[in-house]
Amino acid sequence: MRSPFGSIAPYLFVGPAVLSVAIFLYGPLIASALLSLLDWNLLSSELRYVGFGNYATILDNNDFRLAAWNTVIYCAVLIPPQIVLPLLLALLIHAVRDTSAQSIYRGALFLPTILAYSVAGVAWSWLLNPVNGLFNELFGYFGFPKSRWHTDPDLALLCVCLVTFWKTFGLNMLLWLAALANVPHDLREASQLDGANATRHFFTISLPLMTPTAFFITVTTIFHVLDDIVGVIDVLTQGGPAGRSSSVLYFLWQQGLQFFQFGPASAVAVLIIAVVLSVTWLQFRVGERRVHYG
Amino acid sequence: MGIGRRQFFAGIAASAVASTITARRAWSTDAQVVISSTWGADKPFQKVVDAFNGKKLGVTVANRFDGDYEAAVAKAVASTAAGRPPAMMITGWKFGYFARRTLGARDLREIGASDAILAKFQPSVLPLVTIDGALIGLPWAMSTPITFINKALWQEAGLDPALPQNPDIDWLYSAARTLDGKLKGRHPSYRSPLALSNNEWTSQSFIQNAGGHIIDPDGKLALNSPEAIAGMKAYCSPAFEGLWVPIGAKEQDAAFESGALAICTTSSTRATVFPFGAAEAVTTKFPGLAGHPRRMNSGGNFLAIYAREKEQAEASLSFLAFCASKEGQSIWSEVGYLNTSVHEIPLINAFMKPAAEQLADGLTAETIWPGKRGLEGQAIWRKWVSRMLLKEVGIAEGMKAADQELHTLISA
Repeated sequence: MRSPFGSIAPYLFVGPAVLSVAIFLYGPLIASALLSLLDWNLLSSELRYVGFGNYATILDNNDFRLAAWNTVIYCAVLIPPQIVLPLLLALLIHAVRDTSAQSIYRGALFLPTILAYSVAGVAWSWLLNPVNGLFNELFGYFGFPKSRWHTDPDLALLCVCLVTFWKTFGLNMLLWLAALANVPHDLREASQLDGANATRHFFTISLPLMTPTAFFITVTTIFHVLDDIVGVIDVLTQGGPAGRSSSVLYFLWQQGLQFFQFGPASAVAVLIIAVVLSVTWLQFRVGERRVHYG
Repeated sequence: MGIGRRQFFAGIAASAVASTITARRAWSTDAQVVISSTWGADKPFQKVVDAFNGKKLGVTVANRFDGDYEAAVAKAVASTAAGRPPAMMITGWKFGYFARRTLGARDLREIGASDAILAKFQPSVLPLVTIDGALIGLPWAMSTPITFINKALWQEAGLDPALPQNPDIDWLYSAARTLDGKLKGRHPSYRSPLALSNNEWTSQSFIQNAGGHIIDPDGKLALNSPEAIAGMKAYCSPAFEGLWVPIGAKEQDAAFESGALAICTTSSTRATVFPFGAAEAVTTKFPGLAGHPRRMNSGGNFLAIYAREKEQAEASLSFLAFCASKEGQSIWSEVGYLNTSVHEIPLINAFMKPAAEQLADGLTAETIWPGKRGLEGQAIWRKWVSRMLLKEVGIAEGMKAADQELHTLISA
């Protein structure tokens, strides 16, 4: 006889996971979408339906438009090197024969990734200090004009990019290293026997075999870039000077947790979700068919 | 066995006393109040809390470090929405309207704050914590911008060590030029003569010292006035002249402490740090504008009660009473804020004297932006200050644009 527990067992096993996804992912998503249509500060009994008024306000806001444009630049400047440079570093480390030396290189290059943003921010603000930072001291020593670095409206965004890259490339490097280590050694030997040089081996054997990792890195790097720049902006520039290094996520944080404008902040959140979903859908549509899953 | 009339009344009296003691005891043993603060256990505020708890008055206060003003308010919003507001919170001046209108900061008089507590503060500071007619906190933490000067660099540039009692910008900027002329490229640590602090606070001082207002006494924006524009021109001129490289507060402090920066105008709370570091700073008042009366502004925070329950609110009030006492104020003064009380409390060091004099001259509040979107006001004003300093926009044009953007905001 079949146990009555058997019929409900799958629900019991899956239930907690489904419930937590519903509460902690879809719940806030729906709540944000609803809040974006309201004029409400979460505390007041006054609650007003404003329709798409918050969206109109946000899209009309010059600071939001500047933050959105900055975000496009951040993505354009950061995403390609965040994918390619870690791959180059992984190839170099992978080529090191001495395993202990390989561990030292790997550890040293991964170290910035595990540093707290606050620590990294203080260290970089000392290096970049326009009055007496190390970079300007070196520039002065070699006779170059001093720079205002992250306090210069034309350089602030690039300084955030530099620090973000330094802080985050390590994760992608480790992923590439893991993928390289999984390329079967006998294929390398076979290609060498067939006379393929290192470049040809990489493009015709290693890279195609690493396409699942490449696809994963391509998809997740956009999330990381959007997310990681907020930490760096917060500790290094606070979006300044005059909003020139702000991003949409930083703008969202300001609206929500600095100004307590939950309606407009939710409208920004919904816009970000829509854009990220569209980009991810496009990435899957274009990229997944080129992935070799073995 | 019967009970006699005397025994009956004795019993009634005994039970009345017992219930009173028990009730008092319940309050005294059970009242635990949490204060959301911007200082951790290593700061003088903890000493105030410990001193209060040490008195065993029946209320135990727990100091909960909640980050900076913004972070503390964000947590307060979340806990208030969940129905559990913090009993008390260290609240930045700029959150005055938000504290009262949104978070529901209690009117201290409504809870039962006696005139005796309020009388312990200088009458001139009580209006700073009076919002919509309600007294929403103790005005116990007040700072004001003053001038810090690196003593060694000043002497090496051959400048007069006797600092004027009421400096003005002509004197200050002239000294900055001399410092640059004498030390630039010749001194191992010297890099820049002056920093006025790139923020909304010191720019407000310049505007007020020029006779203008950010928000006038009638509550109207006054950035687009000739006086405000003149103040802003005076504020930006050393940046335009290359005497000042506007940078963030952390970098400014680091540059000053390392001896790279000769003059720095910033919060008087730095008087607990700058004079005792490598810079060996000396202090004088914030520069005024020649021919104009000085009208300096203040900043800081107030101590507000948010508890809804009667017992929690009253227990919180007992802590506030201690904070208002001479003992509480004496411990508190170590943090470097001005003495806003009527108690005779000696200055913690002589470098605080210019700040104390500015308080005696009379201080206005830092700008508390009104309206539902008021909290954005500070960020928007700071953005326009930056744009003017960076010459991205002319000063008259910048002040007009700031006035327009802020007008839309505060009238929302």
